[in-house]
Amino acid sequence: MVSSTDKRVSDLRLRWPLARSATISLLSVLVFFALWQIAPALGWVNGRFTSQPSIVLAEAWREILSAAFWGHARISLIEFFIGFALSIALSLPLAALMVSSSVARYLIDPPLMALYIAPSLILLPILVIWLGIGVASKVAVVFLGAFFPIVVNTMAGMREVDTKLVVMAKSFGATKGRVFLRILVPAALPSLLTGVRLGVGRGVLGVVVGELYASQAGIGYQLATYGASMRIDLLLVYALVVSIFGYTLTELVRLLETKVGTWRPQ
Amino acid sequence: MTQIEISDLAIKYRKPKSDEFIVAVGNANLSIEKGEFVTIVGSSGCGKSTLLMAVAGLVERSSGDIRIDGRSVEGPGPDRAMVFQDASLLPWRTVLGNVRFGLELQRWARDDITERAMRFIQMVGLGKYADYHPHQLSGGMRQRVNIARALAVDPQVLLMDEPFGALDAQTREVMGNELLRIWGRDRKTALFVTHDIDEAIFLADRVVVMGREPGHIKEVIKVDLPRPRDEDVLESDGFIALRHRLRKHLAQDMAAMRMIAEET
Repeated sequence: MVSSTDKRVSDLRLRWPLARSATISLLSVLVFFALWQIAPALGWVNGRFTSQPSIVLAEAWREILSAAFWGHARISLIEFFIGFALSIALSLPLAALMVSSSVARYLIDPPLMALYIAPSLILLPILVIWLGIGVASKVAVVFLGAFFPIVVNTMAGMREVDTKLVVMAKSFGATKGRVFLRILVPAALPSLLTGVRLGVGRGVLGVVVGELYASQAGIGYQLATYGASMRIDLLLVYALVVSIFGYTLTELVRLLETKVGTWRPQ
Repeated sequence: MTQIEISDLAIKYRKPKSDEFIVAVGNANLSIEKGEFVTIVGSSGCGKSTLLMAVAGLVERSSGDIRIDGRSVEGPGPDRAMVFQDASLLPWRTVLGNVRFGLELQRWARDDITERAMRFIQMVGLGKYADYHPHQLSGGMRQRVNIARALAVDPQVLLMDEPFGALDAQTREVMGNELLRIWGRDRKTALFVTHDIDEAIFLADRVVVMGREPGHIKEVIKVDLPRPRDEDVLESDGFIALRHRLRKHLAQDMAAMRMIAEET
């Protein structure tokens, strides 16, 4: 056990450097915003191309209160979560198949790896030709983006499963289906979540680029529209919205990951 | 009444990537009465674990028969439960969850499962640890969970594969005593594999001695020591005589193994 005096000493050692680095970071951000704000006013840069933080903030506020914004956000969220749910649902049985059958592994592994390494956006024009410019083509591109990191990590997690646990389950009469549900899935859950975390970025990219390329609604559609009318302020608002969404979701999954992984010995 | 009937049992493996066969067990015959505690000893590679796995239905037999209550063994069944060498606990489940596991797989009524699991956790002395995860437990405690999980499903036959093999000497002795105490409550038929001679005698009504190449039953020795037993039994003349006899058996095997080692 750590005695209370030891703890205080280590607290002191930690607090100062942390506080200092935080202060410096905050200062640099403030200086950046100040420069950004005054530079166009002083004529250093053309405000049409840089906008100003005060304008971006005001536009962000207006945008968030508008029904149109939420309509577009809703479309993008639907595309994102359907694609993501599909990739999780399909990666579990596929990973189990590849772990339990070497024939399946030899058959599926090469194309899987090729698609994992290649950016899935390469297939975007094909997906639009096949599925149209609506929700379906974005669901597909999100799926393709998120699926590979999830399936590769899930597979790694399942491969680590102690075969003795499978024998144990069989001794209690477990069928193949129950071995999958009760042993493979829970054992692979932490690695699956690692895959999900890595897939979030690819999925977000898929939705936005997919909508930018061809769509009638969604966050990416808005970006394309405001890009055409050179609304730097609104483009920055949307950039902010997308990065906040991706960051929050990644952190949520990370939180879930540590919560689920508590049974793992250090 | 005979509970386990092993007749002319042979188990062969094909060597990987060849046509050669390894005979793990060749022609074994053994009959075990209901309520009997039988231990199997032998040096490593004598096929004692394979024999146990075959009774569990986890290893296919090449010829011969194994009958439990007259029915031929075709795979695992609820009449048998296995206690594994390394506890084989699910690391993501708590002690309670692990003991529940067997009950869940054998589809016990949902309402009874937790209560029943708790009863067996208390029986093995882990009442306070029900919500601990395996990595928080000592080796001895994990084996207690392993035993509770097997007993909870109420098997006719308890199969144990060197359950105390990885424990230190003191813990091992404590666990042996505990096992006898728990077993004494309803005296289920038990088949216990070990390489420890003292453990084999201490627990058993009969000790089966197995030999190597191919794995076979050399002798079955009756243990006429009174029950209930405690550590004092280890000092008794009867125990010492049995130990001497078993040592001689295993010494022959050891000598044979040494000769093989020198040849190669």
